Amino acid sequence: MSRRVAQASLFVVALFIGALLVGQLRSQARPIELSSLSAQELSELIETLQAANVDLSDGAANLREEIRDYELADIQGQDAMTPAREALDRISAFSGLTGVRGQGIVMQLEGSFDPVAINDLVHELRNAGAEAISIDGIRIAAGSVAVLGNGVIEIDGRPLGRSVEILAIGSPRGLQAALERPGGYLAFLQQFIDARVTITTSQSIVVPATERVLTPTVARPVE
Amino acid sequence: MTRRLPPRKRFSRPAWAVSVGIGLAVIGFIAAAQWNSSLGRQEFVTSAQRVLVSEVQQLQRQQEQLRAEIADAEHRLAEFQEASEGSQTALARLNEQLAAARLAAGLTDVRGPGVVIEIADSLRPVPEGERPTDYIVLVDDLRDIMTALWASGAEAITIAGGSTDGVAANAERIVATTSIYGVGSSILVNTAFLSPPFRIEAIGPEGLHDRFLAHPSFLGRVAQRIEVFGLQFASEPRDELTLPAFVGTTQLRWGAPLADEPEASPEPDE
Repeated sequence: MSRRVAQASLFVVALFIGALLVGQLRSQARPIELSSLSAQELSELIETLQAANVDLSDGAANLREEIRDYELADIQGQDAMTPAREALDRISAFSGLTGVRGQGIVMQLEGSFDPVAINDLVHELRNAGAEAISIDGIRIAAGSVAVLGNGVIEIDGRPLGRSVEILAIGSPRGLQAALERPGGYLAFLQQFIDARVTITTSQSIVVPATERVLTPTVARPVE
Repeated sequence: MTRRLPPRKRFSRPAWAVSVGIGLAVIGFIAAAQWNSSLGRQEFVTSAQRVLVSEVQQLQRQQEQLRAEIADAEHRLAEFQEASEGSQTALARLNEQLAAARLAAGLTDVRGPGVVIEIADSLRPVPEGERPTDYIVLVDDLRDIMTALWASGAEAITIAGGSTDGVAANAERIVATTSIYGVGSSILVNTAFLSPPFRIEAIGPEGLHDRFLAHPSFLGRVAQRIEVFGLQFASEPRDELTLPAFVGTTQLRWGAPLADEPEASPEPDE
């Protein structure tokens, strides 16, 4: 009887130690709560979320309008050609299937940059709200990434020179400010890479359509 | 006849009492360590931060609501487009183009063979004098994995965070406007705040997994960090994966689709 009590006690203690050890290990992992961010990081996050929510809100309003167009066409006995064409234009411009004209920035980048610097720049621009980007005339679609091929940087199989022109459509001031902020992309380039960058804002730039085939061959739509 | 109990050799009362005592001492030590570490984190949160955290949470709730609204609207639009199919030849053709454009843009759920990758923070204790950030998954790791996957032929990719049960409930589809962005040690994908472990799923042609593991964008930085700092990493090919569509705005605010017109060179502001 006493032996059983001893075993049961040891079992309970071992179980408790195990649970505590798991808890301790988990607490040593990265604290994922928002409270682990500094005030500056939280402010940056708030700014990003606010901008994103404005975009989402606009997007939702536009979609509601498209639905109304379809409903109206249905009520009036008309075909749905107009809303369908508008939707096709919108989606094609978004994905890179068609070119885009608009406001934005023009960047000239020259120096010993590597593919990582180019890919980081694309992420910086997208995070700052760029809606369409091209690098040396190559439209950056979802899968367009800079890689090192045969000693030169390539995007979608096309080589880049030592000097590249980057066009980004979006808020000209917003894009420029995001790149030039202290600790931002330009500061990083100046600190770690021997590269020269100039940025000018523009009221009218044209980003071309992609030459990449975007239609998947293996991924099929879920019915 | 009386039976005599055998002598207790292994578990005499003092012996197990000592074991339990040691066990309780260990529990006390661990509990104290855990209490101290949680106190440390709590002290870090100032009242100003609490206000900011509350604002972030409110914005995240708002974002979830907007994304649900957009997903619903996209679904309704797709229904309209399917319903009107076949009513006219021209309209049917337009709707086919629309379906193809939605597929190319990442606005359709897709299915196919591919790879699953999981990456999480290191479980190794950070040695004194070393940077704790070396032992956690950074935005660069996810960007490098993304780059290696696209360059290896991936056709569709999602990133999910915080999921360890194989269900990518919060998976973010990577599209033309997706940024993978770091705020401190946290990571935003499509403006969604994701936390480790990260689960990346990609659909692509046969050999995607092997090409990914051999790609310089993977080997260059992230593979070395896995090796040196013990980031948790696993990957495997899969016969069938289903990736959700992108949920977000596809409307351009600063640009418009280019009609069939000659291309113009940039006109800098005065």
